[in-house]
Amino acid sequence: MTRRTLLAAAAATVSCARDRRPRLNVYNWSTYIDPGMLTRFESERGVRLLYGTYESNEEMLAKVIGGNSGWDVVFPTHSRLAPMARNGLLASLDHARLPALRNLDARFRSPAWDPGLRWGVPYMWNGTGIVYNGAQTPAPQSWAGLWNPNLRGRMTMLDDPEDAIGACLLKLGYPFGSVDERQLQQAKAAAIAQKQLLRAYLNADVRDQLVSGDVIEAQLWSTTAAQAIQGNAKLGFAYPEEGYPLYCDCAAILRESKRYDLAHEFLEFLLRPDVAAANARVAETATANGPAQSMLPRDPVLYPQDAIYRRGIWPTALPSAVQRYRDRLWTEIKSA
Amino acid sequence: MRKIFLLPARFWMALFFAAPLAIVCAYSFLTRGDYGGVELPWVLENFTRLADPLYLAILWRSVWIASLATVFCALLGFPLALFISRAGRRKNLYLQLVLLPFWTSFLIRTYAWIFILRDTGLVNTVLMRLHLIAAPLQLLYNDGAVLLGLVYNFLPFFVLPMYATLERLDPALLEAAADLGARPFATLRRVILPVSAPGLVAGSVLVFIPCLGAYLTPDLLGGGKSVMLGNLVQNQFTTARDWPFGSAASLALMLASALLLAGLMRSRIARELM
Repeated sequence: MTRRTLLAAAAATVSCARDRRPRLNVYNWSTYIDPGMLTRFESERGVRLLYGTYESNEEMLAKVIGGNSGWDVVFPTHSRLAPMARNGLLASLDHARLPALRNLDARFRSPAWDPGLRWGVPYMWNGTGIVYNGAQTPAPQSWAGLWNPNLRGRMTMLDDPEDAIGACLLKLGYPFGSVDERQLQQAKAAAIAQKQLLRAYLNADVRDQLVSGDVIEAQLWSTTAAQAIQGNAKLGFAYPEEGYPLYCDCAAILRESKRYDLAHEFLEFLLRPDVAAANARVAETATANGPAQSMLPRDPVLYPQDAIYRRGIWPTALPSAVQRYRDRLWTEIKSA
Repeated sequence: MRKIFLLPARFWMALFFAAPLAIVCAYSFLTRGDYGGVELPWVLENFTRLADPLYLAILWRSVWIASLATVFCALLGFPLALFISRAGRRKNLYLQLVLLPFWTSFLIRTYAWIFILRDTGLVNTVLMRLHLIAAPLQLLYNDGAVLLGLVYNFLPFFVLPMYATLERLDPALLEAAADLGARPFATLRRVILPVSAPGLVAGSVLVFIPCLGAYLTPDLLGGGKSVMLGNLVQNQFTTARDWPFGSAASLALMLASALLLAGLMRSRIARELM
């Protein structure tokens, strides 16, 4: 073998090993997409997807805050869109490249948190309410149901300061996102009083204990609640009358992305009704895609009817000082 | 020549111990970024905040629970180590059994305790079937459950150093004690315990320090109803997004552990026996 053919062979090996297809880097919540849809996008477009997952907004933000994370598309919760945009982290959406935006449910075409959908395409959403065991207790109408002395030791709250303190504020008749020190102090007192009645502060872990009947009432996300209800038909879900928080995760393109076109193609792909329905089935949560909703079972827990939906509150990002104050209150509650 | 063989270890320690520690140190003097991360300017505030009675109470609670866990590990672990060290040919089998839990993940074993302790769990079901109790006992989500989880998880860390010391105990010493008329309890108190002090100290340190920083066990078995220092640190890096304060709190934890170790090293028993 001459030196020239050796070099040619080496070059060929290297170019084979390196995938020449354009690559898009997508960073999403875990179990939030149908893996089959990822391969479908890859084969349809002749591109390669690098797909990574995270468990919290904080985890994602910590990665992308520096502006050189390498990710192209991320899925922040609606309340993080405005602060991320203010910090110059997001690229504005080009609606001309996203004709499928018309597939969005009317509720999500121009939401309060992002009027005109400048920064993110609503993807999946869910609310926080109360799961209750209908065989043991009537459906709670109000957040006060989680202060029921008859259910001492059989109730849980979310281990999440925003939702837990928010529920205390709503019960007292104050806004979910209160920044008022006096109101927050009262909420803290209510939370500490409630702590004596609670079994624990649990997130998704409470699901099994609801199904087994150990826990009778729990503050929980509608998505997890719907899974618990599938396991035990006696369980029901209530959206309290004072109002309740709603959260929507949105597909957004990072400003650092060098694949602006391909990122739009991916967002457009996610807006296809069949793709959105497949993803919602895997995530077991509510999709913001109108036509996709009609391809899925109409679960009243995941898709509250209009009268209930209107009571929903879309939380906004709190000022840094308030956030810190609330975190301190949370530590006080937890160590009380 | 010896220096060359030490190089990989030095490199490893520099890269994976000293460098991250330096980063945590630097973070603890910086300011909280709004979305996580850290920002300038340099401040001392994160350390002065630790003096807040709220955080001191959490520190005190952690020390108290870690101490209790250590005492229980010693009460359970010492007899067990003594038994194994005198088990003759079966020694290795018993040691394997002590180590057996390590074959499964710490997280899975802790979840297993949830299934044992919950209302419809193993303990309550058995007690109710035997008509010993009418309603399920609340075994989960209290300090007792946290303590149980800590003792269960860290017992092997006490048993192994304890066994290593007791194993070297010269049987002739026990015979001599018996010949000189010491009763079994006197032999234990005046011969076995003094000789095994190094193992007792090493085992206690190995249990106390990780218990002090534990966060998973209090979280899973305590149901988030009680905060230990580890939970405070974890919360600062997640929901609270206050990395500098979390760094300061974890440095304080490390400093407390280091002081404790240094104190032990300089103590009379350590100097006499090590």
